[in-house]
Amino acid sequence: MKKFLALVMALAMTLSLAACGNEAPSTSGSASQPEVAELKVGAIYINSKNDTAGYTFAHHSGIVGGMKDLGLNPETQLVIVDEVPEDKQQVLAAVDTLVGQGADIIFGISFGYIDAMEEAAGLYPDVIFSHGTGYKSNETNFNNYFGRAYQARYLAGIAAGLKSLETGNNNVGYVAAYTTAYAETASGINGFALGVQAANPNAKVYVKNLGAWADEVNEKAYAEELINTFNCGVISQHCDSAQPQIAAQNAGVFGCGYNSDMTADAPAAHLTAAIWNWNVYYATAMQAAMDCAGDASKFVEKMGGSAYYGGLKEGFVDASPLTENCAANTDKAIEAVKAMIVNGEWDVFSGVKLSIAADGTVTSADAALVDNAGNEIVAAGGPSVEDGVITGTMNYLVAGVEEV
Amino acid sequence: MGFHIVKRDSCPLWKKALLYVIAVLAALVLGGVLLLAMGVDPLAYYSRMFTMGMVGNKIAYKAFENYLKVFVPLALTSVALSLAFKMRFWNIGGEGQFIMGSIAAATVALKLGPVLPSAITLILMCLAAMLAAGIYGAFVAVLKVKFGTNETLMTLMLNYVALYVLMFLGDRKADWNFFLQEQSARPVFQSFADLASFPKIMFGKFGLNICVILTFLVGTLVFVYLKYTKHGYEISVVGDSAGTAHYAGMKVNAIVLRTVFLSACLIGLAAAFKVGTAGVLSTAITDDVGWTGIIVAWLSQLNTAVIFVVSALISMLHYGSVAAAATFSKVDSSFANMLQGVILFLVFTAEFFIRFRVVRNKKGGKQ
Repeated sequence: MKKFLALVMALAMTLSLAACGNEAPSTSGSASQPEVAELKVGAIYINSKNDTAGYTFAHHSGIVGGMKDLGLNPETQLVIVDEVPEDKQQVLAAVDTLVGQGADIIFGISFGYIDAMEEAAGLYPDVIFSHGTGYKSNETNFNNYFGRAYQARYLAGIAAGLKSLETGNNNVGYVAAYTTAYAETASGINGFALGVQAANPNAKVYVKNLGAWADEVNEKAYAEELINTFNCGVISQHCDSAQPQIAAQNAGVFGCGYNSDMTADAPAAHLTAAIWNWNVYYATAMQAAMDCAGDASKFVEKMGGSAYYGGLKEGFVDASPLTENCAANTDKAIEAVKAMIVNGEWDVFSGVKLSIAADGTVTSADAALVDNAGNEIVAAGGPSVEDGVITGTMNYLVAGVEEV
Repeated sequence: MGFHIVKRDSCPLWKKALLYVIAVLAALVLGGVLLLAMGVDPLAYYSRMFTMGMVGNKIAYKAFENYLKVFVPLALTSVALSLAFKMRFWNIGGEGQFIMGSIAAATVALKLGPVLPSAITLILMCLAAMLAAGIYGAFVAVLKVKFGTNETLMTLMLNYVALYVLMFLGDRKADWNFFLQEQSARPVFQSFADLASFPKIMFGKFGLNICVILTFLVGTLVFVYLKYTKHGYEISVVGDSAGTAHYAGMKVNAIVLRTVFLSACLIGLAAAFKVGTAGVLSTAITDDVGWTGIIVAWLSQLNTAVIFVVSALISMLHYGSVAAAATFSKVDSSFANMLQGVILFLVFTAEFFIRFRVVRNKKGGKQ
């Protein structure tokens, strides 16, 4: 027994000596150097900051990217509490940790942080709070941010519609996290479906409801069902993984990804994905925070409002680079529509309908926006529905969409 | 040549202490090697972890408040579990009982909080949580006593039933669902009125939640209950041998039912403390205390006083590693979890060597 103990202790000592020996070089690297700006950024994530795909990864890449754009150093100026569930007490504890580390601005990325972010903004008026996907805010140090993903979805829908014309298969599938339960998912489905219909008026969009934001097994199974049972030739998605795209590739059909460019996951199937460039927002918000020059209460004013809702115009969302799989003239059509949205000439949920010819030319005509129960949402020629509807109350699917 | 394992008759205290210290040190060294591999200075990381990020922190008092918020439910749940474990009733259902207690406490807070005085609401929250959790736990004891079902499996499975009930309540917008905010289009749990949260005793800026004091009080009562009362004696006899207890004229079934109900009740109380401090439900309300509590109770060898020490240390590890990970870009919370796992694993290894020793087989000896 003594021998064994001695052995363990010897081992422990050797290892700790090794630890001490190696320690010197690692500290020398972090010698304090004067920073370009002294902004300290805090972030609260729902999953791990070391994720390599998915929602948290997209935001983390955006924050790090935004910091680099502004010349900030993520190694020394970014503090993160990750894997924080949507639990008010745990979110507030994370806020305390970040404030204790001197954070000047704190980003919370998950919807369920909403009440904790609101309370924290009141508790710490000297710190800026910025909440992704939320709807609460105040006039001073607390805003929320989200984006017009539906615009990017419309562009992806054009690619899918033109592809369906080319293949002669009018059935398009969509694996959705939720359908009408959330405005976020409903607007995504509707934006995509309207894009499909602009290119192919005879197309029908079949939607499967996952009932979860991420569920890899069913993401794949539902895509397969849409392909096999509903004979869908293009599969779009609103879910975390690339499984629907992989299922499309395996079945020899096509697909449109979401969140990030999924071409690498399904090179033979992928057309284009509706993507987020989160760094666009994060750089904007961090710049505004620096412009506050220590007075956090000016943040909302510097941001030009308490809700940031960027779209194609800001480059916050986009269609990822088109692949070889796309039908002819897809690039031309998407460029033309994107230009119309960017310069404010037209928006997706309006009483003006675009038609895309096979040669990629775009024409517009007044037509009412109607849901799939036959109710008129916007009269022919009317303006696009309000942002509040798209972010908060849109609870219908447009005509031509069927939930199966 | 070979080895075999022999149970120790006793192990001197200094040897026990030494083994535990070695286990923790070995785990830290192992973690240190991993940190080095990630390019992180282990000493810097550990110093942040053990001080829970409180050094150089302008709101260190907040960090300590948050630490206590982790400590209270864990300590109380561990004490509660040790009651059942002492009787060799394997209550793995701490999570489920905690959740049922939380839902009951939240119901009282939301329904009665706005109309009753604060103190009465809080007392009713505690009683409702204790009753709900107690019944949820005692249900399994009834099945065991009546039909001889396996309590490990039953309590384990009921954890998931409770969790899915809570998730359903958190997900389903409906007129009847008063747990959710009416004004929010997306489902969000409704926060309680301020009156339905436990008061704090202020020491300057630091607020000591009275739940901390109550937890120590309950712990003392349980210690006395187990050590100096007839009930406590009955529990240990039933734990050693149900047959002996039966021959001694004890009503074993009644003792089992009573003790499991009490164990689950105390878990419900922990839930009421948690909910009454957080001021809102959440699907992560348990913070895994039902699982961690099992480890704490076991590490403490079911000794109530030791449970408080071990809970304090585990909470420190839990809270400290998160606080430390915040400032190291490469270290995420998964590393913190893994480090906790390594420490626990090695402490259990030390346990093994405290209870047993490895003996070399004698040459030519027969087994």
